[in-house]
Amino acid sequence: MGKGGMSHGGAGEDKDGEEENMAAWLVGINTLKIQAFKLPPLGPHDVRVRMKAVGICGSDVHYLRTMRCADFVVKEPMVIGHECAGIIEEVGSEVKDLVPGDRVALEPGISCWRCDLCKEGRYNLCPEMKFFATPPVHGSLANQVVHPADLCFKLPDNVSLEEGAMCEPLSVGVHACRRANIGPETNVLVMGAGPIGLVTLLAARAFGAPRIVIVDVDDHRLSVAKELGADGIIKVSTNIQDVAEEVVQIHKAMGAGIDVSFDCAGFDKTMSTALSATRAGGKVCLVGMGHSEMTVPLTPAAAREVDVVGIFRYKNTWPLCLEFIRSGKIDVKRLITHRFGFSQKEVEEAFETSAGGGNAIKVMFNL
Amino acid sequence: MSGGSCTEGKEHEKDGENLAAWLLGIKTLKIQPYHLPSLGPHDVKVRVKALGICGSDIHHFKTMRCANFIVKKPMVIGHECAGIIEEVGSQVKSLAVGDRVALEPGISCRQCNLCKDGRYNLCPEMKFFGSPPTNGSLANKVVHPANLCFKLPDNVSLEEGAMCEPLSVGVHACRRANVGPETNVLIMGAGPIGLVTLLAARAFGAPRIVIVDVDECRLSIAKNLGADETIQVSTNIQDVSEEVVKIQNAMGSGIDVSFDCVGFDKTTSTALNATRSGGKVCLIGLAKSEMTAPLTPAAAREVDVIGIFRYRNTWPLCIEFLKTGKIDVKPLITHRFGFSQQEVEDAFETSARGGSAIKVMFNL
Repeated sequence: MGKGGMSHGGAGEDKDGEEENMAAWLVGINTLKIQAFKLPPLGPHDVRVRMKAVGICGSDVHYLRTMRCADFVVKEPMVIGHECAGIIEEVGSEVKDLVPGDRVALEPGISCWRCDLCKEGRYNLCPEMKFFATPPVHGSLANQVVHPADLCFKLPDNVSLEEGAMCEPLSVGVHACRRANIGPETNVLVMGAGPIGLVTLLAARAFGAPRIVIVDVDDHRLSVAKELGADGIIKVSTNIQDVAEEVVQIHKAMGAGIDVSFDCAGFDKTMSTALSATRAGGKVCLVGMGHSEMTVPLTPAAAREVDVVGIFRYKNTWPLCLEFIRSGKIDVKRLITHRFGFSQKEVEEAFETSAGGGNAIKVMFNL
Repeated sequence: MSGGSCTEGKEHEKDGENLAAWLLGIKTLKIQPYHLPSLGPHDVKVRVKALGICGSDIHHFKTMRCANFIVKKPMVIGHECAGIIEEVGSQVKSLAVGDRVALEPGISCRQCNLCKDGRYNLCPEMKFFGSPPTNGSLANKVVHPANLCFKLPDNVSLEEGAMCEPLSVGVHACRRANVGPETNVLIMGAGPIGLVTLLAARAFGAPRIVIVDVDECRLSIAKNLGADETIQVSTNIQDVSEEVVKIQNAMGSGIDVSFDCVGFDKTTSTALNATRSGGKVCLIGLAKSEMTAPLTPAAAREVDVIGIFRYRNTWPLCIEFLKTGKIDVKPLITHRFGFSQQEVEDAFETSARGGSAIKVMFNL
């Protein structure tokens, strides 16, 4: 588990001459500090992983800026970060499938495995979920973490540790494509070409979507989307009055009915556009979490049996993500735009860069 | 097809001339002749015997429109009907003169992708009784495709046949929401649609059904129809959180499916909040165009919103439910009227008033 204690003091060795584990702690608004992170003892089904690659997520930035995310509030210092991969250092007594030296990607969330949702396989919705860097659970931007072995997935030889860390955001796109039943006949619209829109684009292509149109307000992000294989890109505005006109443009660009729309932004405007643009009997997948209350044309959509499918994180996606990356069906490398090392200064700069958005898509730590 | 023309009413009831209730303007219905088209090889002519009034009929009556459908010229009203076959087209094999049938109102094109996919209720070329510009069926007789006329078993009355139409909405919703022996159901609204949804959910095996409404009388009808619990709620959106707690307590376990049979911000918000993670909210009631609702927290619990528009392939199942007694729609028919100018006006007045009037039925 990613729990542990915070001890103050410098990096380097502790009094027993062992390496002291360091982590990036969120101690207050806009305040990250690299400090010691004491790991719990290794349980029989756990492994200890030396972190090598950790990506920054929008939710990490949100916690940095506000010390909260929706109903989750950071009440005490917490280690940040959750998109990660590393190398096994030690395995628990009952661990059979992994050995020290194995390169693994980590699925962040430990569910209870006992509730109805878990037993049904919808463990992403487990009310007792312990998820890296969702308070009060410590994250993984650290030298090492302890984690259940069954949530550590061995990387094929041709998949790098950075690509391993990218499995986490990619999983969101994969889970969304599954829930929306993307396949060789589903024409897809993606609202937003940020990190989540882009992994959704990549996943939709891998699931066989024949035509994908993506929209955003930012020209640069649209050009990245084009590079990544979008069939059509459209620059849209932030002005809700423009919805009707943009729906027309989107339909023209698709050239056929839109079967599934992914709202990877989650604003009234993007959701309204998606609901209006999707064909009768289609689906709108709400992936982005913008505002809590939304004002949208829900009824006209319902009257065309356009369903709204909710997406929360992912379940059982790592094996598929790794297979997509291994086979080259998905190439995530282009999404990694900035790299930083693990020092106080670089941690601060990395978060600043990620928070700045724009050209920064995925900011990656190499430890 | 149910096309036909309106001839000015100079010759009423002469030589069996077909008469219908025409919507001529806001709150203006007039019984006038209705000239039927000739019978196609796959059509039947039906003497209409029972016809119920729907909320959409009232809406057309009051405003001459319903969402994007606008009544631009006089139109025969009504669509929930059953009757007796008077004549069959040359290619009609499965029906005979004298057969008692319930009518499915909508004629789809059968050629578009949606039709070929089986989702014909979404056909963009749908010609639906009483949806402008297609004439409805509050008439002595109509002409209709034989394959949309369903024979009634001996123990199912013509009035029950007419009730298949609203019941179909509930049945279609239960199918789309996958209601079964493990789905605990919440129903927002105990009007005609909430009540047929209650009946359908029970027939589909829902183990526990809680229904809410602002009106005590409607809630007591719901209780008589088999709701496990009824809760009176307010129209005040501030009360949502408190009501969600009451609802969840009344259910006693997670709510798997919520049917919003009203379609206001408050009812949709309540449904979204009350439904368990991974559950579904079915939006049946089509009240407002734009809604303000807590979509994001619901999506973040993977509560999906399922849209419902009319129905498809529901008549056989509705008739079977009625035949076996698994569903009893008779308590929903609260008022009856005959087919005369005065009674047509009174009937619409009664239906529009709501309250204790659930289904107002014409007997022709």
